[in-house]
Amino acid sequence: MTSLKELIPPPTASTTTYYDHSSDPWFRQRFSSSEAERSAAVVKPNPVPQYLKRQGFVPRKVEDFGEGGAFPEIHIAQYPLGMGRDKVSKPGTKILPVSVDANGEIAYDAIVKQNENSRKIVYSQHKDIVPKILKDAEEEMEEDEDEEEQKVIEETTAETKAALEKIVNVRLSAAQPKNVAKQSSESQYIKYKPSQKSEAFNSGAKERIIRMMEMPVDPLEPPKFKHKRVPRASGSPPVPVMHSPPRPVTVKDQQDWKIPPCISNWKNPKGYTIPLDKRLAADGRGLQDVQINDNFAKLSESLYVAEQKAREAVAMRSKVQKEMLMKEKEKKEQELRALAQKARSERTGAAPPAAVPMASDRTAMDTDIRGDYERPTREKETEYPKETREEREEKMRREKIREERRKERERERRLEAKDVAMGKKSKITRDRDRDISEKVALGMASAGAGKGGEVMYDQRLFNQEKGMDSGFATDDQYNVYDKGLFTAQPTLSTLYRPKKDVDGEMYGGADEQLDKIMKTDRFKPDRGFGGAAERAGPRDRPVEFEKDAVEEADPFGLDQFLTEVKKGGKKALDKVGTGGTMRASAGSSMRDGYEGGSSRSRIGFERGR
Amino acid sequence: MLDITRNWPRPVWHSPWKIYRVISSHLGRVRSVAFDPSNRWFCTGSADRTIKIWDLASGTLQLSLTGHVGQIRSLAVSTRQPYLFSGGDDKQVKCWDLEQNKVIRSYHGHLSAVYSMALHPTLDVLVTGGRDSLCRVWDIRLKNVQVHVLTGHEDTVSSLLTRPTDPQVISGSHDTTIKLWDLRRGKPFSTLTHHKKSVRALTHLPKLDRGNCFASASTNTIKKFNLPRGEFLHNMLSQQKSIINAMAVNEDGVMATGGDNGSMWFWDWKSGHNFQQSQTIAQPGSLENEGGIDALCYDVTGTRLVTCEADKTIKMWKQDVKATPETHL
Repeated sequence: MTSLKELIPPPTASTTTYYDHSSDPWFRQRFSSSEAERSAAVVKPNPVPQYLKRQGFVPRKVEDFGEGGAFPEIHIAQYPLGMGRDKVSKPGTKILPVSVDANGEIAYDAIVKQNENSRKIVYSQHKDIVPKILKDAEEEMEEDEDEEEQKVIEETTAETKAALEKIVNVRLSAAQPKNVAKQSSESQYIKYKPSQKSEAFNSGAKERIIRMMEMPVDPLEPPKFKHKRVPRASGSPPVPVMHSPPRPVTVKDQQDWKIPPCISNWKNPKGYTIPLDKRLAADGRGLQDVQINDNFAKLSESLYVAEQKAREAVAMRSKVQKEMLMKEKEKKEQELRALAQKARSERTGAAPPAAVPMASDRTAMDTDIRGDYERPTREKETEYPKETREEREEKMRREKIREERRKERERERRLEAKDVAMGKKSKITRDRDRDISEKVALGMASAGAGKGGEVMYDQRLFNQEKGMDSGFATDDQYNVYDKGLFTAQPTLSTLYRPKKDVDGEMYGGADEQLDKIMKTDRFKPDRGFGGAAERAGPRDRPVEFEKDAVEEADPFGLDQFLTEVKKGGKKALDKVGTGGTMRASAGSSMRDGYEGGSSRSRIGFERGR
Repeated sequence: MLDITRNWPRPVWHSPWKIYRVISSHLGRVRSVAFDPSNRWFCTGSADRTIKIWDLASGTLQLSLTGHVGQIRSLAVSTRQPYLFSGGDDKQVKCWDLEQNKVIRSYHGHLSAVYSMALHPTLDVLVTGGRDSLCRVWDIRLKNVQVHVLTGHEDTVSSLLTRPTDPQVISGSHDTTIKLWDLRRGKPFSTLTHHKKSVRALTHLPKLDRGNCFASASTNTIKKFNLPRGEFLHNMLSQQKSIINAMAVNEDGVMATGGDNGSMWFWDWKSGHNFQQSQTIAQPGSLENEGGIDALCYDVTGTRLVTCEADKTIKMWKQDVKATPETHL
C-alpha cells in the first residue's frame, strides 16, 4: 500500500515546533534511543484487512480491530475495545440487563425481583390484582390428601422445631456461665523466615521462632466496648404496590377525623396563652343542655306566697293590737275623766251625782243621758219646777263648756301622743328639754340674766371624771382621744388573784422573801465609783444635788416639820393633776418618766409629802 | 372477565344470625376474646385490665383475673397446655396457668403495646405483634428468650395468623401490608400490598385445608388470598363502609365481620356474598358512638359467635333455627 506521504505533496512549513531534544544533555540519553527506534521503525503488519477485502475476516479479539471500531459489513456481534459485552457476569455493576420471561415478553419487574427479593414471592403483574376463583375449593377432601397433608405438616413442624431449637440453644447457652468459651492456654510456635537477610536485620539469623499465645482474659472484666445500636437498613427492596392510589379525602371526612388539640386544665408546659373559649371547650360545656330543676321555681314561688301571708298576718296583728291599745287608752281616759269630773263636781257643788259622762264619742248618747237625767230631774222638777229650769239651763251651759274643754283636751292629748309616737317635738317640748348652756348658745336665755337668781348649770358638766385634767394640750396638738380605749384596770383586777401561799413552807413566806430581796447586797457594788455617792433610785432632776448641809444643820428636822405644817401637808386637791394616765407635756416634748402613755396603771412610788 | 363472572360460585344460603344473650359485666371496652379448646368456657379481656372467664352454656362469670396494668388487647388459649396467654397495652405478655389461676410466666421484650397474638398449632411457640412494628416469636417454656424477631413492618402489627405449614406466620399491619413469614429463618418471603388502608383483621378457615386461603380486612375492603403463595383471589362482593376491627370464619363458611361503627355483616366465605347486615345497639346508658365491635370469635363448633363491643358488653349470636330459604334471603 502506498503510504499517504507519497500521495500528498510535501509540507511547506516545517513541523518542528517542539523543543529539539537532541542538544539537551538530559534528554539526550532518553531520546537518543527513541530516535534510534524511530529511525529503524518497523512497520507492523496491520491485522485489519483493507476495505472491500474483508470477506471471511472475523474479528474476535480486541487486537483484531486494530485501532478502529467495529466493521458494519461483518455481520457478527463485535466488541471493539471490549465495549458492549454482557456485564452480568461482572459483580459490582449497577446495570440490570433486560431479560425476557417465559412467554417472550420483556420482564419489566426484574428490578423488583433482584437481590433480596429474588428469593421471595413478589407480585408485580396485573393478573395478580384480577380476581380469581380457586378451582379446587369445590373439591372435597379425600383421605389421601388428608394423610399427605398431615405428613407435610409434620415435616414442617419438625424442621421448624429443629431450627428454632438451635437458635434457642445458642441463646440459652450464652446466658449460662459454665458455657463461657474457655481459653486454650497452649502456645503455638511459628518459624518465621524474614525476606531481608542482611546482617543488619535479625542479627544475621536466617529465621525466627515466634511463640503465639492467647492473651489471658480476665473473666470478670466488664465489656470493653460499648455496642451502639445501628438502625437496621430496610431490608428488601420495595415491593410493588398492588392497589390504586388512595382516594383523596373528602372535606367531610377530613372534618370528621379532626381531633382538637389537648388543652389541659392543669398543665401548660410551654406556657401558651390560650383564649378562654378554647380552654372551656374541652369541658364539653357547649354540648350539654343545662337543665334546671322545677323545684327551684316552686321554691321561689312558695317563698313569695309565704312572705305575702306573713305580711298580711303581721298587718292584721298590728291592727288588732292597735285597736286593743286604743280601746284601753280610751278606757283609761274615761276613767280619768270620770275621776276629774268627780273632783270637779265636788268642787262645784250641786252636780247630779249620777251624771257620769262617758266616752266623748257618745255625743249622740249625751242627749239621751241628759234625757235620762232629765227624767229623774224632771221628777225632781215636779217638786221644784222653777229652780230646775234655771238649774237645767246652767247645767246645760256648764256641760257644754265641759264638753268643749274635754274635746280640746282630748285633741291636745291626741296630738301630743301622735307627736310623741312620731318622734316630733313641738316647740314647747323642745325648749323644755334643752340645757341651759344650749339655750345660752341659741340666745333664748342669757347668761347671768337673773341677778342673784338661780344659777343654772349644764347637767353635762357635773359628775365627770376628768374635769381639768382632760386634754390640757396646746392647740397644735392633735389628741384625738383623751382617754384610753380600755378603762384603766384597777390594780387588784381579776387578772391575778394571789392564791394561798402554798410554797410558804418551802421557800419561806412572802414577807421573808421580800426581806431577802430587799436586803440583798448582790446588786450593790463593793466599791462605788470614786467621788459618787450611792443613789437608790432613778434621778428626778437633771442634776441632783445633795442636801448634806441642810441635813447637818437641822439634825432633828424641825425646819422640815415647820415647812410641812405651813404647806398644810396633805390637802384635798393635792392629787388633782397627778392621777390619770396622761401627763401634761410642755409643747410636744415628752418628759422623763413618761413611757408611752399606756393604759396600764403602774405602782408609782411617791415620796410622801 | 366474562369467564369469571360465569364461573363465580353461587352463594350458599345461611340462616341469619341474631343476638340471644348480652353479658354486661366489664367496666371497660371489651377488647379481645378467646375460646377454650374444649368449648366449655371463653375468656374476654377488656380495657378495665381484667380477664374474665365465662361459662359458654349459661353465660355466667366464672373467674376474673387481674394482673395487667393496661388494656388487654389480645388473648390466646393453648390447645396443648392449660395455659392462657394475654397481651396488653402495658407491653406485658403474660402466661396464666389455668390450674392455679395465676401468672407463671411473663415475656419481656416488647417495646410498646402488644396488639395481637397467635399460638402455633403444632409447635410450642407464641407469636405476638405490637405497636413497635415487630412480631416476636417466643418459646413458651422459656421466659425471656425470643426465638425470632420478625422485622419488616413499618407500622403496628395489628393481626396475626399462624398455620402448621408454610407460611407459618401471617401478619397484617397498619402500614397496609401483609407479610408471609418463614418461621425457620425468621424472614418474610412475601409481602402483599393489595390493601389501601391498614389491615386490622386476618382470618382463615379453621380446618387445615390444603387449598387454604385467608382473608384480610381493612377499611371498606375484605380481600381473600390463596396460600401457600399468597396470590390474590378476590374481594368480597360488598363494602362494609366502616373500619373493620374483627373477622372470623366458621366451618360452615360463614364469615362474620365487625366494624368500628357497630355494623356486623355476615358473608358467605366462598362466594364473598354478604347475606346479612345488622347493627349492634349500644347498651342503654352508653354514648351513641360507643357502639363498635372490637373483637369476635366463633366457638369451637362454629355455631355460636361471641362479639366484644366497645360499650362494655359481650353479645352472643346464634343462627336463627326457624329461618328457611323461603322466609329469608
